Amino acid sequence: MGRRDRDVRISLQTLRVLDAFLENPADELAGADVHKRSGLASGTLYPILLRLESAGWFISRWESVDPSSAGRPRRRLYRLTARGLAQAAEVFASFGRGVPA
Amino acid sequence: MNGNDLLAALPAAALSETCLRRLDQLTIRLIEHAARHTPPALSQRLQEEWLADLAARAGRVSRLRLAAGCWWAANVIARQYGVSGLAAVGSNKAVAYAPPQASGFLSPRTVALVLIACLHLALIYFLSIGMANRTAKVPPQPLQSVFSNEDVHRALPPPPPLPPKFAHPLIDPIEPDIRIEVSAQTQGLQNVPVDRSQQPNTSTTPPKVDRVIGGPGKGFPNTTDYYPDASRRLGEKGVASVQVCVDAIGRLTSDPAITHSSGNARLDAGALTLAKAGSGHYRPTIEDGRAVGSCFPFRIRFEFRD
Repeated sequence: MGRRDRDVRISLQTLRVLDAFLENPADELAGADVHKRSGLASGTLYPILLRLESAGWFISRWESVDPSSAGRPRRRLYRLTARGLAQAAEVFASFGRGVPA
Repeated sequence: MNGNDLLAALPAAALSETCLRRLDQLTIRLIEHAARHTPPALSQRLQEEWLADLAARAGRVSRLRLAAGCWWAANVIARQYGVSGLAAVGSNKAVAYAPPQASGFLSPRTVALVLIACLHLALIYFLSIGMANRTAKVPPQPLQSVFSNEDVHRALPPPPPLPPKFAHPLIDPIEPDIRIEVSAQTQGLQNVPVDRSQQPNTSTTPPKVDRVIGGPGKGFPNTTDYYPDASRRLGEKGVASVQVCVDAIGRLTSDPAITHSSGNARLDAGALTLAKAGSGHYRPTIEDGRAVGSCFPFRIRFEFRD
């Protein structure tokens, strides 16, 4: 676990965010989707997403839609990186739980 | 009832179209304001991201909660990254992580813990020096009774009828017809002079008796236990004299009586209660070395002792 990984504080809320992504690790989720899956309030959720992205566990990109044609603003989509998946698997393994391959 | 139902239940006048539109504007402004307080490198990205998530939320209360959460998240993010912008990254680049810096010698959490500890120590100190005890010893104000004059003019009930008077029957006393015949021998005896000098002397003073008057003895109840509560609160004190009659083993043979009042009815009642409670614990009167039943007075003093 590198230095940036040590900076990731694994709290119960962090575990819930990771768990929301581990339902299907290939999914790209916006903040609203993570909120629905984890039940975390936005005040807790967004700092965790930014922190995990800073640590390299997540990668994010803007949704490739035209806001004017879609009738809504573009969303920021987050996805687990390979490193993030490995770290999440390691964290959940320490709690005696596996993650989907 | 959730928040949306609550909004639906509010009066229509209070939720006019204008009000709802202003509420939506307030939500958006709150998010924009929150995003401006994040590091500049993240401000634009977070504003757009949060507004997109806001559009995905259904219900005004849910959107308002999201905006409030974003305001909180902005504070957390600003503290994590530093408002000075340690993370000099663009909106599409990865953000460098900067752990929260401790500002100064003590962190806010440490300061809070120290303050809590100080408050507990101060509380324990004040309790140990008896602050609470002194507070409880403040004498209360004497009770004041207010008599109402409402029933003064109420018609009094008629007195009950007097019981019928019965005349005592007149009884004529009957003179007993008794005749006593005195014999001549007896008549002779009546004139015999009596020699007083030959009779025993019965007018001498009785012999002196060694007498020790009784009183409260061993195991007699404590006066403090029978101090009337009301008198204790009002600070009443005094001395009452009680007359008791006890038998040879110190038990009361009749109810005690007040011989000299303390000047306070409550204290007198307390003295009588104490005298009754002491039955069996009186020291009997000793006459010639022998316990006998007797009556004697003794004084009961009600006073405060510091």
